[in-house]
Amino acid sequence: MEALTGWWDDYAWGSLVVAKVFLTSIGLMVLFGLIGAGAKLSNIRIAQKLAGAYTVIFRGTPEILVILLLYFGSAIALTSITQMFDPEVKFVDVPPFWAGTFAIAIIVGSYATETFRGAFLGVSPGSIEAARALGMSPLQTFIYIRIPEMWRIALPPFGNHMLSLIKDTALISIIGLNETLFVAKQAIATTNKPFTMYIFVGLIYLAFSSAITLSVMGLEKFGKRTTEGAR
Amino acid sequence: MSASDADPLIQMQNVDKFFGDFQALKNINLEVHRGERIVVCGPSGSGKSTMIRCINRLEEHSAGRIIIDGNELTDKVKDIDAVRREVGMVFQSFNLFPHMTIAKNLMIAQQLVRKTPKGQAREIAMHYLERVKIPEQADKYPIQLSGGQQQRVAIARALCMQPEIMLFDEPTSALDPEMISEVLDVMIDLANDGMTMIVVTHEMGFARSVADRVIFMDAGEIVEEAKPEEFFDNPVHERTKLFLSQILAH
Repeated sequence: MEALTGWWDDYAWGSLVVAKVFLTSIGLMVLFGLIGAGAKLSNIRIAQKLAGAYTVIFRGTPEILVILLLYFGSAIALTSITQMFDPEVKFVDVPPFWAGTFAIAIIVGSYATETFRGAFLGVSPGSIEAARALGMSPLQTFIYIRIPEMWRIALPPFGNHMLSLIKDTALISIIGLNETLFVAKQAIATTNKPFTMYIFVGLIYLAFSSAITLSVMGLEKFGKRTTEGAR
Repeated sequence: MSASDADPLIQMQNVDKFFGDFQALKNINLEVHRGERIVVCGPSGSGKSTMIRCINRLEEHSAGRIIIDGNELTDKVKDIDAVRREVGMVFQSFNLFPHMTIAKNLMIAQQLVRKTPKGQAREIAMHYLERVKIPEQADKYPIQLSGGQQQRVAIARALCMQPEIMLFDEPTSALDPEMISEVLDVMIDLANDGMTMIVVTHEMGFARSVADRVIFMDAGEIVEEAKPEEFFDNPVHERTKLFLSQILAH
């Protein structure tokens, strides 16, 4: 364990990066998932097709490939756009944080699309009719009836998506994001203790994922308060 | 533009409704005046539910006109909202919001649609819960109530919006026999208060004692329309006689 001495700070900062990537990507993932589910459930053919392509592509390709493509692809695209205005520019660097966060949010968002779609379909049509009959607008029905009913249905698979996200943050080290696995590689280069360093990274991720699992359990219990209890 | 009291509250003129190729309503003509109590009966699939669902636009009619208290139902959202504010509906399967307490079920539409302040909405909710005799259930969730209690809550929820008209779509069909009367009692109480009601039901005792008119539908048409005593004692049409013999046999 003394091999870790001197690296605590780096691991702490790495963990903070993991947490930042995770929290940002959750927001984006929910957004992509809702847009995807909305498109699939809409009556607009082109939206359905686009959402279908989205889920096929990002559920069907390796995550690490998507991260690399997005990172280098966006860098190349941004470079050529910038060069149109300023030909002197040689290369525009895309921050690994944003490229990586965006990439894993898009990937997990494609899974969330299916989860949210199923959950919206699971909302009882009777509740929606009752809301309409009471004069509630489609938007009010969405916010006060559909969303509260659907999140309870979506929560268990959504917990899995969050676990995927937290683990995918480790992949972003490949494009140079200084998260915990990146720190471990540097530490190994100087200490020559790969086993200790990798185990420690594993423990950090276990701590994160346990916190997520516990939160999901708590939320499930909160959601279930309305559906249990004797008459 | 509100109609005078002499005009019918509900007018359906030559209303047709198609589901694809299937014609669910054929040339429906119906007038309901303020305070009238109408019972609609008929075999399943005869268009009873479709007819009352057209009145608050849960179904869109395909042809003809529907005018509620001077507001014609068109595609305009404003007209639909205006009609829905006046028409309360009670469903066969209660359709309470499962994630809200009973009180919240009664308050939500008041707050969102009528913009009633929370405290006042709660007072109105409690008033109607007392009226359906279950104020003590206010802070429970729907699943914790019996079917009969849930249906009474659903009636109270509709009443909180102070509707001019109440529609009941087979309100007792999903209930255990011992719970039917507690719901019917609430409906009789409402009728005695002068509420305009259209009730789709097979409860012929209720029809006989409460209805001003009974309407018999079959295959999407209004076959017979009569005062209850004439309807039950001297039905005119063969189809009505057959239906009554089947439903009153047991």
